[in-house]
Amino acid sequence: MSAPRVWTAAALVALAIVPWVLARHQLSLLTDLLIAGLFAMSLDLIMGYTGMVSFGHAAYFGLGAYASALVLLHWAQPVPVALLAGALLAGAVAVPVGWFSTRATGIYFAMLTLAFAQFLYTVAYKWRDLTGGSDGIAGVPKTELFWGGPSLTSPRAFYFVVAGCVVLSLLVGRGIVRSPFGRALQAIRENERRFTSLGRDPRPFKLAVFVIAALFAGLAGALFAPFRGFASPEVMFWVFSGQALMMVIMGGIGTLVGPVLGAMLFILIQEVLSSYTEHWMIFTGAVFVLFVIFAPGGLVGTARRLGARG
Amino acid sequence: MANVLEQLLNALAAAGLLFLVSAGLSLVFGILRVVNFAHGVFYMLGAYVGFTTVALTGWFWPALIVVPPVVGALGALLETSTLRFIYRRPPIYQLLLTFGIALILEESIRVLYGPTAKGVELPALLRDAIDLGGVLYPSYRLFVVVLGGTVGVGVWLFLRRTRAGLVIRAVAQNSEMADCLGADVARVRTLVFGAACALAGLGGVAAAPMTTAYLGMGISVIVDAFVVVVIGGLGSIGGSMAGSLIVGAAQTWGAFYLPEAAMVIMYAVMGAILVFRPWGLFGEEE
Repeated sequence: MSAPRVWTAAALVALAIVPWVLARHQLSLLTDLLIAGLFAMSLDLIMGYTGMVSFGHAAYFGLGAYASALVLLHWAQPVPVALLAGALLAGAVAVPVGWFSTRATGIYFAMLTLAFAQFLYTVAYKWRDLTGGSDGIAGVPKTELFWGGPSLTSPRAFYFVVAGCVVLSLLVGRGIVRSPFGRALQAIRENERRFTSLGRDPRPFKLAVFVIAALFAGLAGALFAPFRGFASPEVMFWVFSGQALMMVIMGGIGTLVGPVLGAMLFILIQEVLSSYTEHWMIFTGAVFVLFVIFAPGGLVGTARRLGARG
Repeated sequence: MANVLEQLLNALAAAGLLFLVSAGLSLVFGILRVVNFAHGVFYMLGAYVGFTTVALTGWFWPALIVVPPVVGALGALLETSTLRFIYRRPPIYQLLLTFGIALILEESIRVLYGPTAKGVELPALLRDAIDLGGVLYPSYRLFVVVLGGTVGVGVWLFLRRTRAGLVIRAVAQNSEMADCLGADVARVRTLVFGAACALAGLGGVAAAPMTTAYLGMGISVIVDAFVVVVIGGLGSIGGSMAGSLIVGAAQTWGAFYLPEAAMVIMYAVMGAILVFRPWGLFGEEE
């Protein structure tokens, strides 16, 4: 077996065993981390593979969280229905936003996505009747796996739902970036002008990957709402979009699995530091700045470079 | 009629503040090809340093003098210590670096000043309303209109009519050529970055008596400034001015005439302009 396969197999075995090894608090931390990792991975699809930096990705996570919370709370549907609703709502909103944003490139795209996300955040904040305003929606239940199926209220059961979603999303994501469609995205990232001069219009590709990334971000948000039991405007705030960017860079841009590791690093730093100081963001920010200056490839990129050298 | 004049002045005051922030953002992009995400934090820093100066001296006016050099020096320091090393990378990395710096600065301000908003008193001279042909209007806001306009004209004249402005425009147009012709490009970048931060700081201290100095004012202003430069076009001072006027008008008139839809109007205007001119009104196609 090649080295990446060994790693993949080891990771899958570890994911399957840990729920019986870890304490309750640690398992909850791991679940949290996987959800953040899925969110960061979805951002990597547009950022790492297509070269479009979105500064408003949290909006789609938030839309997923709200849709899932409403479906579970008001209609008591099984969790997968809520996940589907979350992903679809996020994807649906991403269509018009992406249509506008992909008219611009580079920096303009980043600014536009931020502006649209702040707009969606404001809507979530102001639309009290539906979203509960700044209080958000609390008491979101973890329902069952399917109609009349096993309950997902135990932390271990819900962990497996999350881990399953993350593994599946990574597989689908890998399939996307290795497909002809994914190759086209990477061609756009490398040289958009040449792509255009070869007779292809990059915009439908960009819009498509923007919507796909939003679907995955919505899925992550839809997992988040029942896991934490709430959805609130904070999960749509720009800070969260920025944190996803940090996870992608620290883990390794354009590697899909790197952002999941980046999320792990980010949350572990936060977890360790926050017991010493409430101002942990200063240190996380500093670590991030050091990564940007000295290790732009992140954990995975740097490890690969060192591996290729040695 | 009275209402119309009042709303017009309100729009101009909002545009004045927006211009102080977006002009620097646009200028830095023109010279360094960097979109400075931390720009809003320098605005916030201006408001907080202004608060400290007012608290120490008991006067408002010294703050207006002290803040720009302090904030500008900090900006120049950051440019030389971090940004300078990654100009050759894809532009994404510079945006991310300034984002990291913004986080560190914002959290540092929270450590230094605490989470509560800090009020800054209006200067005694501008505390009252002024009579404009039957309309009573707060004189401080009028001062902000004048300040924004003066700085706008000043920056424009500086760029167009002085030798330093000529060098800056040369670097903006083609930094390699300017370098060959003997311009000290590294110094121009540092000074322009510092000056832009100073302008943002001036905006912050001017805003403080109206909005108080609070955490989060940086991000709210940077989002507005992004909308301004998207409308006006990055790298163009005229574009910043036009964009500030449009956004200022959309925000204040929207809040007055259609309060429910105020937020939407700004984005609707931006969307409409983008459909026809994706590079902004005054921007150049990449």
